Amino acid sequence: MMKRIFLLMFVLIFTNFVPVTNANAQVAGKCMTCHKEKSPGLYRQWYMSEHAQHKVTCIDCHSADKNEKDAFYHEGAYIATLVTPKDCGQCHRKEFEEVENSYHAKAGQILDSKDAYLAHVTGGEPVAILGCEGCHGANVKIDPNSPNKLSSKSWPNSGIGRINPDGSLGSCNACHTRHAFSKAQARQPESCSKCHLGPDHPQKEVYEESKHGNAYYTHVDDMNLKSDKWVVGVDYFDAPSCATCHMSATRTAPLSHDVGKRLSWTLRPPVSVHKENWQEKRRNLKEVCLACHSEPFADGHFFQYDSFVHLYNEKFAIPSGEIMDIVRENNLLEREAAFGNDIEWTYWELWHHEGRRARHGASMMGPDYTWWHGIYEVAKHFYFKFIPQARAYGDPEVNRYIDNLLADDPMHQWLHKDAKTLRANIRSGKLQQIYQEFYNRK
Amino acid sequence: MLEKFRNFLYGLSVNWTGKLGATLTTSSFIIFVVLQVGMLLGVITNAYVGLVTYLLFPALFVIGLILIPISWYSYKKGTGKTSRELLKERFEQEEVEPRTYGSKLIQTIAIFTIINIIFLSGASMKMLQFMDRPYFCGTACHDVMNPEWVTYQDSPHARVKCVDCHVGEGGEALIDSKLNGLWQIISAAFELYEKPIPTPVHQLRPARETCEKCHWPDKFYGHRLKNIVHYAHNEVSSPQYTTLDLKIDTGKEFDRAGIHWHIAEENEVRYASLNDEREEMIWVEVRQPDGSFKRYTNTDIDYDVKTEDIRVLDCVDCHNRATHIYKAPQAAIDEAIFRGVLPRNLPYISKQAYAAITGNYADKQAAFKGIENELQGYYRQEYPEFASAHQALIDSTVAVLQDIYDRNIHHGMNIDWGAYPSQLGHESSDGCFRCHNGDLVDSDGNTIDSDCVLCHSILAMESDETLEFLIEEDTTDVEYQMRQYLKREFLEGN
Repeated sequence: MMKRIFLLMFVLIFTNFVPVTNANAQVAGKCMTCHKEKSPGLYRQWYMSEHAQHKVTCIDCHSADKNEKDAFYHEGAYIATLVTPKDCGQCHRKEFEEVENSYHAKAGQILDSKDAYLAHVTGGEPVAILGCEGCHGANVKIDPNSPNKLSSKSWPNSGIGRINPDGSLGSCNACHTRHAFSKAQARQPESCSKCHLGPDHPQKEVYEESKHGNAYYTHVDDMNLKSDKWVVGVDYFDAPSCATCHMSATRTAPLSHDVGKRLSWTLRPPVSVHKENWQEKRRNLKEVCLACHSEPFADGHFFQYDSFVHLYNEKFAIPSGEIMDIVRENNLLEREAAFGNDIEWTYWELWHHEGRRARHGASMMGPDYTWWHGIYEVAKHFYFKFIPQARAYGDPEVNRYIDNLLADDPMHQWLHKDAKTLRANIRSGKLQQIYQEFYNRK
Repeated sequence: MLEKFRNFLYGLSVNWTGKLGATLTTSSFIIFVVLQVGMLLGVITNAYVGLVTYLLFPALFVIGLILIPISWYSYKKGTGKTSRELLKERFEQEEVEPRTYGSKLIQTIAIFTIINIIFLSGASMKMLQFMDRPYFCGTACHDVMNPEWVTYQDSPHARVKCVDCHVGEGGEALIDSKLNGLWQIISAAFELYEKPIPTPVHQLRPARETCEKCHWPDKFYGHRLKNIVHYAHNEVSSPQYTTLDLKIDTGKEFDRAGIHWHIAEENEVRYASLNDEREEMIWVEVRQPDGSFKRYTNTDIDYDVKTEDIRVLDCVDCHNRATHIYKAPQAAIDEAIFRGVLPRNLPYISKQAYAAITGNYADKQAAFKGIENELQGYYRQEYPEFASAHQALIDSTVAVLQDIYDRNIHHGMNIDWGAYPSQLGHESSDGCFRCHNGDLVDSDGNTIDSDCVLCHSILAMESDETLEFLIEEDTTDVEYQMRQYLKREFLEGN
């Protein structure tokens, strides 16, 4: 009996004192030795990172099973260059699941979208690789002849919706750039503005124009960006960044990597629609606002914003869409190929560029983007480019639709009136009455 | 006797050419003898005199000798007389009268000829001896060779003569080198050479023949501990140690192949490099005694390999700067601090010294002034009290840095920092990684191993301690796994 107890004690002591990661430590040490010398920048990034502090080394993320599609043998171990959300999810389970179910993760499935079609036909594959897939993510292909088994057409790629060989979607380092994988970086607007900028969705520019952006750049040093806990109003209070409103923790809600959780509208399509469970999502966002604003302030913003979206939809988006439908149905387009006709480009820019700019400007309180870069451009091109191009077909149905729209819709009737009357109507508030129906619409 | 010699000379000096010839020959002979005696007695010690004594005067002597028959011939042609008539005219009857052993004149000429031969043999010997001296090689073509001369004197081979490595032994080597020298004289005179002189020098003697006279491969075994100190660019210029245990074995016995495996008797390593510059490899292969060979090729390079691009690897492929060592700026500073000639108590000395010697200067004079301004200005501005208390120290530091600059930078030959990088290791150029990289693959797609511990164990890597990785491991250290691995590799791996 005593013998057994001793044996048991021995086993317990022995197993406790042998480091479980011994074999791995040797491999880990070998990776570090060479890469410290050969890739000093990368190594330093890692060395200063939280990963290093927690003994997460090269091999912990890059080790691969021999049977994985992108696994290759390197200096004594099977590894993979590509670290996918699945790999990160070994430790960051919650984040992995949130990302996997988010709109970001679907960004790579754009091959059938108009955007990808446009880039492929008017540009070409290299354009699509560097342009579209740079943000949206590539469908990563395997090339057995490549040293790291990844096709050069799809690697490097850090697009946020990358389709990985292991089936996982996304790329964590789109926001948490390797090899520092910094929280602070992802909390800064610059991280998002890698993609959310430009003529079709100038979120970065709108943010910079807004009070929020102004305050952020004034107080960037006081934003406590490196803090582990980052609750708005508690750990920082000077300004919100993109992450604050869309992802980060509030006093009641935890951080979520599902970026759509606080979005009530989708401003992406030609005609904006409310998202599923939009009231709940609106409440989620309002919760963020309330860290700094009173409730009437937050409600007031949504009141103004919602009416704007309805106006855009009904005054420009729906009519232009319907005109395009008639043009297509009546086979008026000269070329069969989509984007082979000038009216298609006009319509595309009307909603995809100008219309989105206007809506994004309104959503984030960017006055210039709401009006001059937004509705001003929409109106100019709707009235004096799109409609003339549609009329040029001389199709009775198209002409009838346009005539009726301009004659019957009070929002468009101004075209047939004189300026003096219109000015008087603005002063008296009569013109404004036309838009009353957009306020408080449910 | 003197009268007779005077008459003889008079007889030869038939016209201006003849007079010039006689004068040149006689005077250069006399001066040569005087200088030689002076040097033998130790009265003349200036080495530069050797250049004149052993090269100029023998040459003038020969020119004079050649001029004499030329003058005689032209004189004879001009007057239209026969030699006999002319001899009678120029010399006394007694001199030209035929005798059993030739006329007196013939005897005189014979004696002088013997003296000339003895003199010229002696002078040639002295000339060759002189030309074998490093001083000759280093200073005769001053502009071209000065950088090599300066770095040679400061090198591990400073006591090995240039010709021991560059010329070699035997008549053929001698003739080769003299013929080559002839071209070099022309090239130096008309500045036909490139600046800086391009490397590698392709017509060097076979390195194995040269180097292995002293360094024979049987002795390349075991390990060599190399400690590199770098002084950080912080206020106290703190030392950072990189300690490598170099595995230098040829691997003949016990299968312990190390770095000198490349030149082991049983391995023949050959390679073809782009334009034979020995930088970018097109392929590299190893042949074993049984005739088998393995070749690694860079398939990305589209290049037609010519026979002259193929080379058998030898000492100088790695030790390409065994003697004429041009230092990297930081290495020169680190060495000076280590030797104590650059004072570490000067704040930021490593950083400031680097800034001073790597400035972009138009010429040496500007550089010296610039180095002085940089240092003096910095300490006056940033550490005024320290500067006034330690002015002498700062002055001497300036002098040390100017000396470092002077040794390594040569404006006349366009030699700036990094003009001649060393291929040893992989510090100042690709070195080992020219072949040990991922671009060269064999037929199965395998690459040449480029594992860090293949050639050396690492005992410290820019660390605070010289044997950092051998000391007790701290489990909280970020690099704990690496230290553990390196310690084991050293203790168990060899």
